[in-house]
Amino acid sequence: MPLLPLIKGTFQALTRSDELEREMDEELESYLSMVVDEKVQGGMSADDARREALMELGGTEQVKTEVRQSRHGATMDSFVWDLRHALRLMLKTPGFTAVVVLTLALGIGANTALFSTVNAALIRDIPFDEPHRLVAGEKTTDGVPNGSVSRLDYFDLRDAATSFEGLAAYVPHRVTVTGEAAPEVVGLMFATWNLFSVLRVDPVAGRGFLPEDELEGGSSVLISHALWQRRFGGAPGAIGRTVFVDGEPRTVIGVVPAGFRFMNDTDLWVPVERGDFFIDRQRDSHSLRLVGRLAPGATLAQARSEADAISQRLEQQYPDSNSGKGFFLDDLQRQMVGDARSSLMLLMATTAMVLLIACGNVAGLLLARSQGRLPEMAMRTALGAPRKRLIRQLMTESILMTLVAGIAGVGLAVLFQRLLLQLLPLGKPGLPEPTLDSTVLIFTVVVSVLAGLAVGVVPAFRATPRQPWEQLKTTSRVSGGRRSTRMRSLLVVTQVAVSVVLLIGSGLLIRTMTQLTAVDLGFDPERLLAGTVGIRGSVYPTPDERSAFFATLMERIEALPGVERASGISKLPIASPSMDWLVWPEGQPKPGYGEGLYALTRFAMPGYFETMGIPILEGRGIEDIDTPDAGRVVVISEAVAEGLFPGRDPIGRHLNLDWHDPYEVVGVVANAQLDGVRADFPEAVYMSSAQAGATSMWLTVRTESDPLLVADPIRDILREMDADVVFSRPRSMTTIVENDLSGLHTVTTALGLLAGIALLLTAIGLYGVLAYHVNQRIGEFGIRIAIGASAGKLLTLVVDRGLRMVGAGLVLGVTLSLFGTRLVQDLLFETDPLDPLTYAAAVVFLGAVGLAACVLPAWRAMHVNPVEVLRKE
Amino acid sequence: MVESRQNILKGTLDMLILKTLSLAPMHGLGISRRIEQITDGVFQVKPGSLFPALHRMEQEGWIEGSWGESENNRRAKFYRLTPAGAARLGEEREGWTHLVSTIGLVLEAS
Repeated sequence: MPLLPLIKGTFQALTRSDELEREMDEELESYLSMVVDEKVQGGMSADDARREALMELGGTEQVKTEVRQSRHGATMDSFVWDLRHALRLMLKTPGFTAVVVLTLALGIGANTALFSTVNAALIRDIPFDEPHRLVAGEKTTDGVPNGSVSRLDYFDLRDAATSFEGLAAYVPHRVTVTGEAAPEVVGLMFATWNLFSVLRVDPVAGRGFLPEDELEGGSSVLISHALWQRRFGGAPGAIGRTVFVDGEPRTVIGVVPAGFRFMNDTDLWVPVERGDFFIDRQRDSHSLRLVGRLAPGATLAQARSEADAISQRLEQQYPDSNSGKGFFLDDLQRQMVGDARSSLMLLMATTAMVLLIACGNVAGLLLARSQGRLPEMAMRTALGAPRKRLIRQLMTESILMTLVAGIAGVGLAVLFQRLLLQLLPLGKPGLPEPTLDSTVLIFTVVVSVLAGLAVGVVPAFRATPRQPWEQLKTTSRVSGGRRSTRMRSLLVVTQVAVSVVLLIGSGLLIRTMTQLTAVDLGFDPERLLAGTVGIRGSVYPTPDERSAFFATLMERIEALPGVERASGISKLPIASPSMDWLVWPEGQPKPGYGEGLYALTRFAMPGYFETMGIPILEGRGIEDIDTPDAGRVVVISEAVAEGLFPGRDPIGRHLNLDWHDPYEVVGVVANAQLDGVRADFPEAVYMSSAQAGATSMWLTVRTESDPLLVADPIRDILREMDADVVFSRPRSMTTIVENDLSGLHTVTTALGLLAGIALLLTAIGLYGVLAYHVNQRIGEFGIRIAIGASAGKLLTLVVDRGLRMVGAGLVLGVTLSLFGTRLVQDLLFETDPLDPLTYAAAVVFLGAVGLAACVLPAWRAMHVNPVEVLRKE
Repeated sequence: MVESRQNILKGTLDMLILKTLSLAPMHGLGISRRIEQITDGVFQVKPGSLFPALHRMEQEGWIEGSWGESENNRRAKFYRLTPAGAARLGEEREGWTHLVSTIGLVLEAS
């Protein structure tokens, strides 16, 4: 077939379909009138002639259909026709359209937004060259991954392993930058020289790290693009200039590309020095995280078994420090996503369920409407439209509506996404940002079309009769209503079931939240301000000078109006976790691996326990007398006292702390949640920060009212004392506690919200079915009333029907929940996934909502006016 | 069997219409009546097959339609053979002759 006419014909079909349609009408009309003319000439009356001519023609609709189908682009043509028809219908019933489109748009929008997040975290690659060859590494104890690797173990692994093209280590830190611009506190990352070559990132100005940068006394620093702009105005001359990092002069050697993010928000990168500092010689001092690039052709499994072999060798070589220790290697991206994965999957599953419920409602609406259109469809079938065509047309209608809903959903997704970006736990910095890219848009289109098919297919088949005459026989009364109602009842049962699952899920999370807020923190977070202050070791070289600085600072802060008490600690509870050391009583041998007691180690200023509200149970806290010259003292938590000195008075006894000389126990304080709200780590030892010569402290300030009010006065004091010292990130303790729960809080809120939407949709669905049901039986109800049925009897009829649907849904939903709650198990805290109270509450709540949805239809049934109804019959 | 006969008939209809139009431009009813007349009523061309065939052939570019006045002063769409249509008629005629002679050979074989 020649191509040109084909294209022309198809084009015409698309562009001129109205014109062609009109011309065809005209042609058939002219044909008809000529046949009539012939017959009239043959002596027939005009009426008879017209009737016979029509019969000969055999149905204009059929002829037209066949002509349409014989043309090129026939399928397109009829598709365009269907589309126009569907559009017209949508505009003709704006209320119906709005309800359907809005319902689905909400569902599709939520799914799109969430999918964009899932896409960013789990599907798209992290923005590094050949990301699948990147692996993350940490330490294991007894096979369980638990944090940082010791520097010496890292060197051994790096030197011995052959599966890596490069293996780098890093550890994040926070520092104060001074010189050339206002002092600021920024993120710093200590990194081995090869971090950037492993990640394959080149500096945009200057040079990257070289092996010699790691040598002792090196002072190179790489700066972020943002810091380059901020402090140097993006000038190329920044290379070679000096920045002061916690007072240490460092030379800028290069600028990292804009937008580079890896694991932490970092502005400075400093080489891990290969010095001879005492901590570097400790094989059981663990501070480094690993990232490596697999050698070409090497697999993660190979690297793992190689690392296992190396760690076994290290265990034999250094049994004191390395027993039970190993390396854990994993895909870098998986490690960066971390715990966010399960939350994301849970929310994705939930949003999908909400869309399912929304689809259920829309399908119900379409079913109801399709019943009303039965006579129209029957008529068209009788006029010769094939059933296939009608079904296709109805499907076009529903898919068009869901596509419109999809477009609206993308708009909503943009809004949702902003919310999600702020709320969702998205894993570590460096993962791609969620965007509405092509993958997401394809997802939306696919979901929209699937939703269109799902909601449209049953109504389409129901609306198009197999036997048109059956339809035409019945008059205004629509048959098949019963079957349609049964279908809709099934939909409602499913909706109720899904809602129950969601309600129970969010109920369990709410229980967890209340359990967590009820956790006794061991200190009082109210009216407490916390923030960090760091001074330069070079400006305050001796422990005496350092403690003098902090002592003066506290004195001046306590002199501020509205301040009750001020103190400091090396690591703030909740905000600054980990750092646990092995502790054992003096005179006993150092416990072997897995035997000793580990305690969180903190350095406190005088008055710390009083400020925090941690009760001192025995002896005293850290006090002014604990100066660098005085004897070394330690305050232990109750858990340590019970663990090391069961049944004996610990005061006056001595403790060994890892590699340190013994400390004298001077006090016992109550346990507190130091490691996080959900943590189970009450063992803690507190030493004197003055004796340790600490340069960086968390200030803790107990105030009389709003703690944030004293933040600025404290800044002023610091500026007067030392212009290079910054009071960084002052926050209220309550905020810090909330932040610790924020991930869970978000998931709970989101799930609760989704469950609420699901419940609302289900109630609407139930109401719709019952209202329709009452409408269908209105004549019957009229008769019942006429022959003496009481209103109560009718009420029972309707409510009974509604409750039967709800009941079936509840049974199904509770059964599903028994299995489904495993999904949230990881997120629960001291809450049984089968918590009977939650289940009961969800069932009662949904039952009540279901009952409420029955009320209006039942009321209508009770107030049917028999006279009016019977007159209509 | 049934299928092949329909195919032949379908092909024949195109050929018959083209042949009819090769004599003079005509409207739909004219074509239909003319074919009936020539075949002594053996072939009755129903509108249900006539119009689809006409529209299809018009799209192929074998015939051209234009609106004009019928003998009874009715507005009607007249179809006219194009050069491409004439060529097509030749092909169809050849194909038909070939088919008839081939079938003849089969039938005469003893």
